[in-house]
This record gives sequence, C-alpha cells and structure tokens, in this order.
Amino acid sequence: MRARLAGLGIGVVFGVLLSWSGMSSPNVIRGALLFQHAYLFLFFASAVLVAAVGLALLGSRQRRALLVDAPIAWTREHVQRRHIVGSLLFGLGWGISDACPGPIATQLGQGIAWALPTFAGVVIGVHLFLRRAGAETEPATEPLAQSRRGSAEAVPV
Amino acid sequence: MDHSQLPWYLAGPVLGLCVIACRALFNGRLGITGGYSEIVGRLRAGRMSFDWRGWFLIGVLLGGTLFAVLAGGPDFTGYGWLTAHLHGSAQVAIVPILVIAGVLIGYGAKLAGGCTSGNGLTGTSLLSPAGLAATATFFATAIIVSFAIRAVL
Repeated sequence: MRARLAGLGIGVVFGVLLSWSGMSSPNVIRGALLFQHAYLFLFFASAVLVAAVGLALLGSRQRRALLVDAPIAWTREHVQRRHIVGSLLFGLGWGISDACPGPIATQLGQGIAWALPTFAGVVIGVHLFLRRAGAETEPATEPLAQSRRGSAEAVPV
Repeated sequence: MDHSQLPWYLAGPVLGLCVIACRALFNGRLGITGGYSEIVGRLRAGRMSFDWRGWFLIGVLLGGTLFAVLAGGPDFTGYGWLTAHLHGSAQVAIVPILVIAGVLIGYGAKLAGGCTSGNGLTGTSLLSPAGLAATATFFATAIIVSFAIRAVL
C-alpha cells in the first residue's frame, strides 16, 4: 500500500515535470529532434548526471529498499539484438508522433484529445508484445530482487 | 508552448531524483513502459490490482492533469507536424498514423526492455551497456525520421 502511494506520488511529480518542461508538446520534441533547440538534451543529460551520481552513492551506502523487502541491487545487461531492434521500432514511432510513453500519458491527463489514438496504439503494442511473448523479456537493468515483489507470476517489466 | 518552460537545470535534476527515489524505495527501475506493461498485463489477466509501477503511470497522467489545472489549460494545442500539415477532412488520416506510431512505440519499447525513461534515463544512469545502446539507437532513429519528415513536407 505504501509502495503504491509512493509510486503514485513520484508519478505525479514526474508528470508535472514532463508537462512544465514542455515535453508533452509534440512541437517541442520535434524542435529538439531537428536540433532547433538544446533544451531536451540539457534536460536529459542533467537528469542522467544527477541520477548516475545518486545511484552510485545509493549503491554504496544503502543496503535495503525502504518500502519493499529487497536489497538495493541491479545488474547491467549486455547488448542483445532485441535492444537494437526494439529501439529502432520505438524511435520510428517516436519520430513520427513526437511523443513517447510518458508524454502520451501527460497529454491524456491534460485533456488533449489527439493523445487518445497514440495512447491506444501504445496499449495495443504492449498487448501484442505480451501475447507474443508469454516469454519474459528482461529490462535492460533488471534488479535482482524484482521477482520477490509478491506473486510469483509477476508480469514482465 | 503556451506556458514558460521550467529551466532545464531545475527540471532535469528533479527528474534524476525521481530515478533515485524509485531505487531507494522499491529497488525499482523507473520506467514508464513498465507501468503500461503492468496495467495491460494485469487487465489481460482479469485483475484490477497494480503494483507501484502501475500507480506510477497513473500518477504521471494525473501530473499532467494537475499541471493543466494549475496552469489554466493544456500547454499546447494540435499535435505537432500532423495537425500543422493536415487540414480539414484530411485530419482523419492522423488517427491511424498515431495508432500505428503508438503500436511501434509500445511494442518496440517492450522488445527493447524500456523507453526514453527505462532505457534512456535509468539504463543510461546505471551505465548499462544495453541501456546505452538502446538510447543511442532510438535517439538516432527519431532524429533521422524527423529530418526525413521535414524533407518530405
């Protein structure tokens, strides 16, 4: 329960940030991808820098997660074909719509009607993958204890 | 943009703190696609109960709503180049284009094990080779696609 509330809270912060930074707007994303302004790249790079430093500190100082019964641990996955092929498909969809999964959610939250077909497409795409897969696809950095979270048939990430 | 952008040097670091919070609280990997996958997967199994990743996605959506309420409206109108270049009845074509783009996004992100947040933010900040390769690939692809669309329009 506490974990779900915390997830919701972090999500709200994330959603406000994506909106306030203009990332919900396809025009802003398109301008970035056409190298018309540097905002997205500075935004992204500064987020990665802060996260990288914070995770490194966390990894060396904190042993257990605060809200679930799991150690703080992760693995770094080697590059496989699916990472490249999947990202090619993803990049194609992103370049066409100028929206990725987070901004699609904030667009919907803001009441943008055009986000409905994009959102429906993402849901269909995830559904098709889960149907095809049944097989589980690990994320690029699967935490070691991910599957300890409750039920054994945890849905793949 | 109808509203002024939050400076990147505030927005970026706070976004980074969200990544750290997910790790500290859940030993979790912040990723939006994981939220879609959690919700779609549970609904497919006929269940309505989601873990923190599902609630995270719901929070992101509500964050958009909160922003629109506080800012007095959504922060843009139309939908980028599609509504700028297709007018009148031709706008019907936008719907299938966006559905197909969405399918590519959803399926591709699942296949790659993450999207701009899971592979881009989290994978990159963990220096995961797969996350770095995925991020380089989707950024390069989206940039090429954007220039190609501009060349055709």
